[in-house]
Amino acid sequence: MRDEVHAVGYRRLDEPRPVWPGWPIARTLLVLAWRRRATKLGLLVCFGVFGVHGVWVVGQLVAKRYFESKANSALLGTDKLVGQVHEALASYVSVQFFTTALVLAVVAAGAIAEDRRVGAFELYFARPLSRMQYALGKLLGAGIVPLATLVGPAFILWLAAAGIAPPSLRGELWWLAVPALASATLGAAVLTATSVGLSALGQRARTVGAVYVAGLVILAGVTEGLAESGYPSFGYLSPERDLRTVVDWLLQVGNQSVAAKIIPGRPPTNSDPIGSLLGLLAWTGAGLGALAWRIQREVRRG
Amino acid sequence: MPLLNLQGVNKRYGGTKALDAVGFAVDGRAIGLLGPNGAGKTTLMKVLLGLEAPDSGAIQVLGLDARTAPTAIRGKLGYAAEGPGRLPGLSGLESVALAGELCGLRRRVALLRAHDMLDLVGLDEARYRPVETYSTGMHQRVKVAMALVHDPELVLLDEPTSGLDPESRDELLDLIVHLRSGGGPAVLLSTHLLHDVERTCDTVVIMRRGQVRYAGPLAALQAQTPDRWAVRTARPAPALVTALAARGADAAAADQAEVLEVALPQGAGPELVWAAAAEAGAAVVHLAPVAGNLEAAFLGAIAEEGA
Repeated sequence: MRDEVHAVGYRRLDEPRPVWPGWPIARTLLVLAWRRRATKLGLLVCFGVFGVHGVWVVGQLVAKRYFESKANSALLGTDKLVGQVHEALASYVSVQFFTTALVLAVVAAGAIAEDRRVGAFELYFARPLSRMQYALGKLLGAGIVPLATLVGPAFILWLAAAGIAPPSLRGELWWLAVPALASATLGAAVLTATSVGLSALGQRARTVGAVYVAGLVILAGVTEGLAESGYPSFGYLSPERDLRTVVDWLLQVGNQSVAAKIIPGRPPTNSDPIGSLLGLLAWTGAGLGALAWRIQREVRRG
Repeated sequence: MPLLNLQGVNKRYGGTKALDAVGFAVDGRAIGLLGPNGAGKTTLMKVLLGLEAPDSGAIQVLGLDARTAPTAIRGKLGYAAEGPGRLPGLSGLESVALAGELCGLRRRVALLRAHDMLDLVGLDEARYRPVETYSTGMHQRVKVAMALVHDPELVLLDEPTSGLDPESRDELLDLIVHLRSGGGPAVLLSTHLLHDVERTCDTVVIMRRGQVRYAGPLAALQAQTPDRWAVRTARPAPALVTALAARGADAAAADQAEVLEVALPQGAGPELVWAAAAEAGAAVVHLAPVAGNLEAAFLGAIAEEGA
């Protein structure tokens, strides 16, 4: 049955307009992404990574509590067997960096590219929206993904660790929140800026997404190989290796445990964490620069 | 305060002058921006919106200076672009609500208002479908709803009837008439279709090759061209032609000998024809104004200065 529509005519609107227009832009980006199956699949993978690390953190602390009540855990080699919370958190940030990149390849790849392709800039900028609000809206939309998959879960892992740690470890773990969250936030910033920045250079979401993931993987592989073959400076070109270096440095990860060798994600790092930090900031700056350049180019205003 | 006040506005794309010393001040509830393709209509709209910066000139929209208050102007304008202007994946309702939110409306208010505007433009249950499944007519309706959702003071419609079937076109023109006569926003209608302007607008701006050839009330433009009437007599009446000529009217036989096309002198009405017919003893069986007065005025306006 066809609906009957009865227009009541045009009514004037006497309503204050307090909403920051960046938020609807961010929400629209996420709503459109959520409608794609690939986004849900990617989030499922992220959830799996979180689950594995959750089991690792909880398992080692429960084991520690158990052995502490029985005997000297150091003598029993508990640390060697299950590792440390530092190591689990560092592994989580490094591994989840890659899986979050997969999700962002779906969510953020079209953030700017699709607007270019369908000519939506007019739709946005014919309204009282500044270039800055548009850029912040897109960055916010893309940034919510690593906040939800990387920063938030890292906090939950830390919270779980601090909550169930035996009293002897609680004091040490309490202060682990700052480096854990700082490293996760740094990873989130790099992912957000680079994914949106690459989107600003492309014109089709799928192409941008594929290039983003392939670029990260190839860059990581090639630079890893070069760095380990006597050209260490190439290691600073890979955001993944840079992040791993900074995370290990911030979290003071010790020697690798048996558990860390089972769960991949602790390959070698660069020798200079400050150099890696600068490398990450350079990638973030490049992404933001590409975004600014594109918006400046597409929206010419007096 | 005129709705639009432009002085010496120039805009150049490479070697092409899109706007050439455009200057006019117009007011009215519905302004027709008329001109052939490539006349500079869309460029003018983009300059009004601040989407394009003019090379020189002064622009006032709704009394606000476009150079100093572009954001405030855009908040008071609604714009339905000629291009697609849509986000694939969103439904018509979501698109209109998003347009409202971008103008600062709260989500709830934007959704309610989106429903109102989609009712107004006549998009029924299709509003819940993704916009990429829409027909051209549905797209045009959504674009108009997006332009109206935040209750602008002036809505700019760029070729809104292009690609529409006659019924949809009729409905859209009815909507513009409704906005003009109701309490809605003023309308700036860009089109190359004379009929659309004649039916909906009270003011007209005629452009050609980036220049404004006429800007002012539509009635005044029509008055500039002779009032033309078609006169059918029972039999061919050469005496009527003479009698009309004696009264200053210009009569010429049409395809059929008993049909005359009469251009009345300025200020004269059809009673002049009746008087001439009485004098010539001609039996007038049909007397009606010739459609296309605007067409004649338009052609006259764009033909000026040897263009």
